[in-house]
Amino acid sequence: MILYRRPWVAALAVTLLLLLANLAVQPSLFKPAIMLSNLSSWLPLILVAMGQTYVVLSGDIDLSIGAIISLVNVSVVSLIGAFGGGDGALLLAIVCGFAIGIGAGAINGVFVAALRLQPIVTTFGTGILFAGLALAIMPDAGGTVPDRVFETYAGPLLGVPVILWILSLAVLFVIALGRTRFGLRALAVGGDAQAAFQTGLPVTRVRILNYGLAGGFAALAALCLIGETATGDPLLGGSYTLSSISALVLGGTALSGGTGGAIGSLFGAMSLGIINNVIFFARLPFELQSLIQGIIVLAALAVGTLVARR
Amino acid sequence: MMPKLFLPKRSLTKLVLAAALATTALTAPAALAGPKFVIGVSNGWIGSEWRTQMIDEVTEAAKAYGARDIQVELVVQSATVDVQGQIAHVRNFINQGVNAILINPNSPTAFNPIFKQAKAANILVIATDAEVSSPDAMYVGVDQKAWAQKSAQWLADTLGGKGNIVAINGLAGHPANQMRVDGYREVFAKYPDIKILNEANANWDQAQGQQTMKTLLATFPTLNGVWVQDGMAAGAWRALSEAGKSNIVATGEIRASFLKTWSDAKLTTAASVNPPGVMVSALHVALHRLQGKEFKDGVFKGQYGNAIYVPIPLITTASLPDALKQVQGKPDYTSVTTALTVDEAGAFFK
Repeated sequence: MILYRRPWVAALAVTLLLLLANLAVQPSLFKPAIMLSNLSSWLPLILVAMGQTYVVLSGDIDLSIGAIISLVNVSVVSLIGAFGGGDGALLLAIVCGFAIGIGAGAINGVFVAALRLQPIVTTFGTGILFAGLALAIMPDAGGTVPDRVFETYAGPLLGVPVILWILSLAVLFVIALGRTRFGLRALAVGGDAQAAFQTGLPVTRVRILNYGLAGGFAALAALCLIGETATGDPLLGGSYTLSSISALVLGGTALSGGTGGAIGSLFGAMSLGIINNVIFFARLPFELQSLIQGIIVLAALAVGTLVARR
Repeated sequence: MMPKLFLPKRSLTKLVLAAALATTALTAPAALAGPKFVIGVSNGWIGSEWRTQMIDEVTEAAKAYGARDIQVELVVQSATVDVQGQIAHVRNFINQGVNAILINPNSPTAFNPIFKQAKAANILVIATDAEVSSPDAMYVGVDQKAWAQKSAQWLADTLGGKGNIVAINGLAGHPANQMRVDGYREVFAKYPDIKILNEANANWDQAQGQQTMKTLLATFPTLNGVWVQDGMAAGAWRALSEAGKSNIVATGEIRASFLKTWSDAKLTTAASVNPPGVMVSALHVALHRLQGKEFKDGVFKGQYGNAIYVPIPLITTASLPDALKQVQGKPDYTSVTTALTVDEAGAFFK
């Protein structure tokens, strides 16, 4: 029962195991500066995986989430330039970025939940559409944002690093959401949509909201990537679609919907990041790096599943 | 190996730890008296043998420093990653405290913030194969524009300054591709009797190059010449020979398999060399700098003012035997390579 209510416990165990392995090959791992720089590498995937979790929880999937990241990335970088680059312009561009992300997610939601199109095919299609839009807005990687954008992102705010603020707020948001009716409804819809509908839950609305939520998280990840790269790149987000799904599965969320949660995805995404570190610091020959990485991901999945079954 | 994946978690940790320790022990370098430098190598795309050859060559060159009593330890990171993944490579290099980073970058601009951090940590960053805009890094490699101009000039000369041509380019929007397009356009603009009928993109893929050439042949029956980039030229030539168009001249490429065809079929072609050895040149420049030498004034060129360009050989039918000798006995995908010697790299320094 404990594990049923807290599917992230197994993911946490796997994360801790991998951290030990990481520590063995990188003794300086727990220095604050190192942890912080690791966190800024992992943060975008953590956020995307959290967002994707809501869609998967209600039994759907979003294959366009990487394209949404690219779209928000190039839009915000272009808008900052168009608005003149002042502080007001930055804020306005950030708001527009969220609007674009949430809007793109809601479009997915309407197609899938209201028009009842098949989620895999639909979001595959909208993904091509969003990626095409991103290419039309910025055909070539480039554009720059003011230096203070990435300096702020990499620096502290009120004594706490900005990336830690972003992570903490995202986690608090997810926990708070889990305690509302909405959080329960998402699980109920994914567990058995028909039963949820028959008991009077607004199934369509819940699914659309979940897609919108995923779009919002993707927008936040895109903003973090701007903080990290200080540039626009229409191909930036592509790999996040499958990585986010790997992360949430590692985090204990069932692809069939109904069980799991965004906190598990946090650990799943961290695990993927830690695995990259282990590969890096173990000094493996470069020909074997991808192979060993695949083996460790599979092993982590197996361990997580075995722990969860007990 | 497979059953071990399903061991209880404690044995799995042990396994991972043991494997990690074993690899560290295996790679523990022998003690030398001279200075020691740790150099991170980041390659962000493994879709081509050219990249593998690039890493193999730089690994060899690093070992060779042992004979000079300098210990060079390479930490190689090579996988197909997105920009964020390659930033993680750089970040790990910084955390590890390497002396220098050699990188074949996935983006011209996205590394500006992380290179700034590397510089703040006193790490030398050298990009190769693709230029970067960061003022905190430099570039050592070929000037892609000049690379295109060399073979374009050969084509213009071979055609006697007149004729109808087409161009087959790589990936639209890729910075190196754009520089190459600028390069050949500049050359052909000097010849009013050379007409560029079409410029197509075939994404640096042999099969697409072949298909595109077929389409172009069908569309333009009066074609005299083809300027085609490497990675697609072999495909384009296959289409030319299938169509029996022996009167059309086209540029070629530097892989062993193509050089053999060139020699056997006596093709009229030439190829600019974009050598996988560019990273070796970058390594030598890095080591001169790491040993405290200062750059001469005016060595940096290019649109970002941070580029050191290496010479670009042109293989013609006259120099083909030498090129063939270099790749003799090597696999078909081996590229002709050149690199600066340690002393040549030293010429950039005071």
